[in-house]
Amino acid sequence: MPGKSFFIDTSLCMACRGCQVACKQWNGLPAEKTVNRGTYQNPADLSFKTYKLVRFEEVVVDGKLKWLFFPDQCRHCIDAPCEMAADDPRAIYQDRATGAVIYTGNTKKLDTEDVIDSCPYNIPRAAKDGSLAKCNMCIGRVKNGLSPACVKTCPTGAMNFGSRQEMLEMAKKRLGKVKKTHRKAKLLNPDDVRVIYLVTEDPDLYHKFAVASNSAFDISRAVALKRLIRPLTRLTASM
Amino acid sequence: MKVTRRKFMQISGASAAGLAVSGLGFDLSPVRSHAQMLKTKHAKETTTICCYCAVGCGAIVQTDMKGDGRVINIEGDPDHVINRGSLCSKGAALFQLGENENRLLEPMYRAPKAKKWKQVSWDWALTQIAKRVKKTRDATFARKNDKGQVVNRTTGIVSVGSAALDNEECWIYQALMRALGLVYIEHQARI
Repeated sequence: MPGKSFFIDTSLCMACRGCQVACKQWNGLPAEKTVNRGTYQNPADLSFKTYKLVRFEEVVVDGKLKWLFFPDQCRHCIDAPCEMAADDPRAIYQDRATGAVIYTGNTKKLDTEDVIDSCPYNIPRAAKDGSLAKCNMCIGRVKNGLSPACVKTCPTGAMNFGSRQEMLEMAKKRLGKVKKTHRKAKLLNPDDVRVIYLVTEDPDLYHKFAVASNSAFDISRAVALKRLIRPLTRLTASM
Repeated sequence: MKVTRRKFMQISGASAAGLAVSGLGFDLSPVRSHAQMLKTKHAKETTTICCYCAVGCGAIVQTDMKGDGRVINIEGDPDHVINRGSLCSKGAALFQLGENENRLLEPMYRAPKAKKWKQVSWDWALTQIAKRVKKTRDATFARKNDKGQVVNRTTGIVSVGSAALDNEECWIYQALMRALGLVYIEHQARI
């Protein structure tokens, strides 16, 4: 499998939120008004102007308090449901060399709800005008040989970026090591996405949408239909 | 058929594989090719040290070579021995120190009991500060303590700051404070 991938090792994340801020800075995104909600997780959720968010969860596992950190972002699915739902390469397309799923300003012409609902990880967010935004893999940086801003800034090595092969090997190697001390450690959907997380507890404890297979809802019929007839539409378009 | 998201991804994976084998599908290269120009491509690079804490991470400041010379980007210096390119959330926000619409550009003064701030000149502000520091320092200066030991100090002035100074600037600053006889000298990085 060619292209690029991230490996996010949550066992190394200390939730400094450097990635969250570096993302804002590089992409020129404005700050959000935040309030004290009794957690360091701020803003409360991803938004049109927040592509990256470190989620904080306090949970008790086997009588012990655990503070779980999850640097959430677009997974850049290998076969992206949002791209299928949009079915318009001028609005959502996959960059060939890297595999990055990119949204353009034309997303405002799409059925916003349809695209958001199609995401198994609940990532895209809409602006008031209906256009959609999310992580763009810092495509400009990557195309110029730099790593994404979030990876570049990470002080602990939790965020990694490179060729897909390299990242998969790193993830598997690291999993083997972490499993010795954390028996529940696992990789999240490594075969389906380009952003591979390593977690040490049940993924549901980190975030409801941490892993696709655990999401409690179904895809819409419209998306399923579009997906099924897609090879046909491609065929007709090429003729 | 009830298709779960997980199932859906499996199905779509299979159909994509079929498509790849068929070699069909229309070419989207014009849309997909990304000829992005990096915003920092023609920037001047200057190294600096993060001002926020005692770790002393290195950063690279990229400024506009043409135009107004303002900051385009600041990120970790990969060659710096302390942080090797990384920065925490505070360091990653260094850009805003200079490029920030909320930044004050002129000194502001709020008189005792006044409700509003007013803009004043640098000359006036600096003279006022010097005058008041001198007055308070002279009024509270103690040459000796209760035991008769020579202390040459004032406990009438406290310094807390400054978060936006780097190591060298902090040294000069504390030297000035100590010369005045201050003993309460603190910095946010230590609090």
